[in-house]
Amino acid sequence: MRARTAWTVVAFALVTAACQAPDEDVAPAPTATVTETETEAARGGTLVVAITADPGHLNPAITTSGGTHTASELLYNGLLAVEEEGGEPVGDLAEDWEVEEDGAVYRFTLRDGVTWHDGEPFTSADVKFSFEQVLLQYHARTKASLASVLEGIDTPDERTVVFRFNQPYAPFLLQLDVTEAPIVAEHVYAGSDPNENPANTDPVGTGPFEFVSYQEGAEIRLARNDDYFKEDLPYLDEVVMRVVPDDASALLALEDGEVDFLWGVPGPDLERIRTADEIVTGETASNPGGSNCIMTISFNLDRPVLADQRVRQAIAHALDRQRFLDQILFGQGEVAEAPISSGIAWAHADQVDLPEHDVAEAERLLDEAGWKDEGGATRVARGVEGVEDGTPLRIDFLHFPTFSKYGELVREQLGAVSIEVALRPLEPPVFAPTVFAQDDFDSNVISYCNGPDPEIGVRRMYDSAQIGDVPFTNAAHYRNPEVDALFQQAVTTIDRDERADAYRQIQEQVARDLPYVWLVETESTRAWQDRCTGFKIWTGLFAETASCRS
Amino acid sequence: MSARYLLRRLAQVPVTVVAIVGLTFLLVHLAPGDPILALAGEYGDAEYYAAMRARFGLDRPLAAQLVTYATNLLQGDFGISFRLGRPALAVALERLPATLLLATAGLAVSSAVGVALGTAAGRRAGRPLDVGLRVGAVCGHATPSFWLAQLAVLTLAFGAGLFPVQGMTDARLPASSLGRMADLLHHLALPALVLAASEVALTTRLVRAGLVEAWRADYLRTARAKGLPDRRVTYHALRNVLLPVATVVGGRVGTFFTGAVLVEIVFAWPGVGRLLLTSAQTRDYPVLLAIFGIVSLGVVLANLVTDLLYGWLDPRIRYD
Repeated sequence: MRARTAWTVVAFALVTAACQAPDEDVAPAPTATVTETETEAARGGTLVVAITADPGHLNPAITTSGGTHTASELLYNGLLAVEEEGGEPVGDLAEDWEVEEDGAVYRFTLRDGVTWHDGEPFTSADVKFSFEQVLLQYHARTKASLASVLEGIDTPDERTVVFRFNQPYAPFLLQLDVTEAPIVAEHVYAGSDPNENPANTDPVGTGPFEFVSYQEGAEIRLARNDDYFKEDLPYLDEVVMRVVPDDASALLALEDGEVDFLWGVPGPDLERIRTADEIVTGETASNPGGSNCIMTISFNLDRPVLADQRVRQAIAHALDRQRFLDQILFGQGEVAEAPISSGIAWAHADQVDLPEHDVAEAERLLDEAGWKDEGGATRVARGVEGVEDGTPLRIDFLHFPTFSKYGELVREQLGAVSIEVALRPLEPPVFAPTVFAQDDFDSNVISYCNGPDPEIGVRRMYDSAQIGDVPFTNAAHYRNPEVDALFQQAVTTIDRDERADAYRQIQEQVARDLPYVWLVETESTRAWQDRCTGFKIWTGLFAETASCRS
Repeated sequence: MSARYLLRRLAQVPVTVVAIVGLTFLLVHLAPGDPILALAGEYGDAEYYAAMRARFGLDRPLAAQLVTYATNLLQGDFGISFRLGRPALAVALERLPATLLLATAGLAVSSAVGVALGTAAGRRAGRPLDVGLRVGAVCGHATPSFWLAQLAVLTLAFGAGLFPVQGMTDARLPASSLGRMADLLHHLALPALVLAASEVALTTRLVRAGLVEAWRADYLRTARAKGLPDRRVTYHALRNVLLPVATVVGGRVGTFFTGAVLVEIVFAWPGVGRLLLTSAQTRDYPVLLAIFGIVSLGVVLANLVTDLLYGWLDPRIRYD
């Protein structure tokens, strides 16, 4: 009630157009921690989860949409699962597997006695069908990475599945969890168009929870799967996903007790939530829509102004990346230390030389490149190749409207070294064709999610074969045959040390070439009532082991 | 009013709606944006984009798309939602009851409260109550609904705990139907009040102005001179004053439909307004056009009803 009183005061302050920080009125609360010591999980009860977007449908195999995956993954399983963030995969629908022929063949033994929610038995035919007819056709990420390398899938018996590749393919085991490759039922989808099958809104899975109802735009209700193949699980009787599009309303609903679990907390509210009574928070870099994301500035290397490496280096020196972390993300994440996310620990190269914040060095490099500060607000060209003398140093910067704060900071910091930045906020459906199909930009900011393996989310940014109109590929138009070759080398060996070495060389090379500036690695903060525990916040099966005291 | 007039007006309805949908078809397709992005997410490849474009016919020339769309539309087929894989009209219609409930409640509250406040102000023109109500009305009309909505959530819902913060029902709902009804009304109250707020202001000012003017009219002076009680006099005046009010309220039905967008977002109300926003953001053209179709039909019909109401409110008005 004290928090409520405080909020009434804040609201009153708003009305009278005064400003007042809520913290002063809130009694200090004991700091909640994520570490949970579980003795015996409570059974039963309903978990109410707020989700920001309506999922549209509940088939995670035909889309990579974060909204659908968030709402539907509890209904399904992958062959493998992620039991700890960034950790090695463990068995889910598969109980055992072997890698053969240097990584060109993967053989899985499936769990016995698994049934679909409608009682039909789960078999290897379901796995083959899911990949061939659904995932490789409609799951954009799986299709993009596997379609060209996967040669065939064999099912020698009901409990064995064999994947054959046309070359050794290293990242496969990281592409088999419920986010990357959810398995759907052949008897439900066979002979239909998976995009229009009624089961998309009345799903049948193998997951810990069964579908009860879906009221579009309002809520999805799930009930405990009593026949779940993991003994004793799940603990909860019911999970209700409420669609609450407004972050502020969702947060108030959590504080009010109407909602038990939130997927994200807006930066400005973090401190208040972290110190709130009866609320626990936890950070993760994995989201159902993408994991290990880095906010990245792309330079259009085809533009004469930005083709000069010294200009790109100067811009990188002019940016104080710590400020992006502090002022935009309120500390949710960390400053990027290398081109590959630290979330992929084995591939992330430490001690890569990324330009530090150094305004004097930025100015020196700009002078050297022929961009002279002649006392005006903006530098002008004097002898720059491909640029007429006297041209002001002016670049545009494209961003999603939700990333406008990045634009403002970039404009401010580049303004300090007399580079003029014109901001162009564009909605995602317009941003993507403008940058990738029309190539109509000087610079932009994109949240590039590196995914569980560099082959999935990193290669697309640098591979010269991925310059084109497909969104969120090689925005910079970066071309380096050596880097292309190293990526190919890294994917065709399964020896992790060898792969790490190739990725280290790539990171050192691109850190010199600077087609991008890697600003910050972002994280999400989940928040939940402290009477609930056991969440796996890094996976879509987040409530599989959760329980709530009544 | 003649039956012929009514028939003629009704015949205009489908023509108007089809024209609006056709025009918006061109507008939304000419606006930049790629609907496939919402499906492919961050990682699609060229083949996926090409396959999806072909699937939805987006690879064909715009003129050919328009012809196909118009042909289907004349048969009542609004197409399949890109995002949801289901018929677009059904998707939009599913969300209609929630918005209708909210808009009707908002309209009813704003009309009733507006007439009551306007009457109170008009009868005491120039006195403190009148001044207070007029100032309040200007403030109410000037307040952006999303701000008012958030303020209402903070104070009345979260702060005082009088109303729920979000949703149309409680997630942990008891099964009894009476409980459900009470729960629904409890959830409806605050968004309806917020939606009504700016409209109240408009109605209040209209009624007040009308009453002040009517008060000086000869027929009212006569009525008062005859010794009619105040209530009867006001009633006589209101019959005349309500004519412009009906015009304005009828004309603002569309605003109520679309104006509910922000209120629906803040209160997590699962209506058409939010669907409109999502569909615009993801460029789900079929759903977007289905909503435009439904809303324009609503507005056209509301205008028709308003015209018919004139005849009832003012028997001097005749249509032929």
